Amino acid sequence: MNKALRQTAFALLYISILGPMLWMFISSIKPGYEIVSSPWSLPNPVHLINYSKAWNENGLGHAFTNSILICVGALIILLPAGAMAAYVLARYPFKGSQIIFGTFLGGMMFPFFLVMVPLFFLMTQIHLFDTKIGLILVYVGFSLSFTVFVLTGFFQTLPNELAEAAMLDGCNDHATFWKVMLPLAKPGILVVGVFNAIGLWNEYGLALVLMPSPQNRTLPLGIANLASTQQYGSDWGALFAGLVIAVVPVLAVYWLFRNEIHRTMMAGALKG
Amino acid sequence: MDKDSIRFSPAEQTALKRADSHKNPRRKSKRNPGRSMFIALYLAPALILYAVFVVWPLIQAFQFSMYRWSGLSNQSTMIGLDNFRALAHDDHFWNALKHNIWLEIVIGVLVVILSLVVAHALIAKGSSVKWLRGVILFPQMMSLIVVAILWMFIYNPQFGLLNAIFGALHMPGDQKTWLGKPDTALAAVGIAFAWYAVGFYAMLFAAGLSGIPAEVNEAAELDGAVGLQKFFKVTWANLWAMKRIVAVHLTITVLNVFVLVFIMTSGGPDRATDVLLTYLYERAFTDSNFGYATAIAVANFAVAMVLTLIILKAIGRDPTEARDFKRLKT
Repeated sequence: MNKALRQTAFALLYISILGPMLWMFISSIKPGYEIVSSPWSLPNPVHLINYSKAWNENGLGHAFTNSILICVGALIILLPAGAMAAYVLARYPFKGSQIIFGTFLGGMMFPFFLVMVPLFFLMTQIHLFDTKIGLILVYVGFSLSFTVFVLTGFFQTLPNELAEAAMLDGCNDHATFWKVMLPLAKPGILVVGVFNAIGLWNEYGLALVLMPSPQNRTLPLGIANLASTQQYGSDWGALFAGLVIAVVPVLAVYWLFRNEIHRTMMAGALKG
Repeated sequence: MDKDSIRFSPAEQTALKRADSHKNPRRKSKRNPGRSMFIALYLAPALILYAVFVVWPLIQAFQFSMYRWSGLSNQSTMIGLDNFRALAHDDHFWNALKHNIWLEIVIGVLVVILSLVVAHALIAKGSSVKWLRGVILFPQMMSLIVVAILWMFIYNPQFGLLNAIFGALHMPGDQKTWLGKPDTALAAVGIAFAWYAVGFYAMLFAAGLSGIPAEVNEAAELDGAVGLQKFFKVTWANLWAMKRIVAVHLTITVLNVFVLVFIMTSGGPDRATDVLLTYLYERAFTDSNFGYATAIAVANFAVAMVLTLIILKAIGRDPTEARDFKRLKT
């Protein structure tokens, strides 16, 4: 009896998490009218044209490319900049280094809405409004808090002896960092990279304010746009396909790195 | 937030101690100007980007909130606290704040209860749990945009999953427009949020649960505490540290809920789901009332701070500490 109850509880839990997602996948391979007329039915036959419609006609392919470019661009700047700062903060304490570290941490407390309006005008003033590089730089700025926080902790756990040995062998500060310490910090950098990539891939608010033109849309903006236009066209199949296109890369990356992601999320929250 | 715990984690403390030892790079730096250059050079990229795109706009936010400003630079007027005075008399602002508070209390409590239940499932043993730990964060990994649209479909009156379930069970509620009615819209958005958020808090609580020493559980069971009684008398008290973290994190997250409301209802119908941040967005980017909008952002931040302080005060003390102290004395 107790066991049956337990099994039911677990089944309910799995259904409530996976049910809506499964429904999304199934609907994405059904023609629009079938989604409306028989929401429970399995697709027959499989209707893959939804995906090509979403990708080509509705511009999600373009948005997908934008999202990739912006994510990769942000990571290329963020990871070296964050790692260098974190390394110095972790291993070269100087007067004021605690204040700088605290300033980076403080950024995690403020929601971006506080800076939404000033940022909108700042970007206009420096002619980076509605440009990919502009959004990339803003993303880097907003991801630095978390990145510096995690990587500083990571560099502190690396044994000091290695850096000292490198110095004795004649490495200067730069060589010690790039040749010895940075390769050792690879696991930490990988986790932070994955974590930020997922966050930026999903980001909507900043992109909404800073990227108004259609050719600059990131994937979340493209999907929001598709949702509002499909309300009139009611081609729901393409919209469901769009949702799947946005979700699958993230879930795949998450599944590969899930243990590391869990640990990092906990660390971020425990700092709280 | 406790200053010391932020500034000096144990790892940092060792780093600081290390700094005092004779191998300290900082002492060398007095002899070695190259090292100061190195430090400056390596900090510069991050610091500059952070200062320009985060710190400077943040400072400006507090400044902007004291201006009447429609976006054209020659039309801004310094009006001091007038924006805040106007806010105090703005019915839409109070209406939005009321919805934020409603979400904090009703949906906040719902999320905590669900998270605790799921947390117990997460620390259970058996084959059914193995996958759960991986699956539980799926919703959290999805973009809030996707969550919003997915739940709009679930609530869809024509073909939504929810009405389909009601229809299949022959229950009333069939064909209902959940997001279109003022009395159900806010709750509907809140439940979508709960679906998104529970996994993360469940993981935090699960970490808290597995941190409770086995002796505590054994002692409770020896004393005959089981089930809910054990939960309330023993487990709940022992989760104090995690409760604190979850409460603060959840409060701030709920207060900053924007995307879900913005996409699912845009604050409607008839402002029935308006929250501070959707109202802010409307003021800034529909009405071009940028100074006023920033004042709403500052007010939103102030509310977050006040709520956080209340929570830290309420769940501030380690209940087990006091007990240990007494035990030592006797």
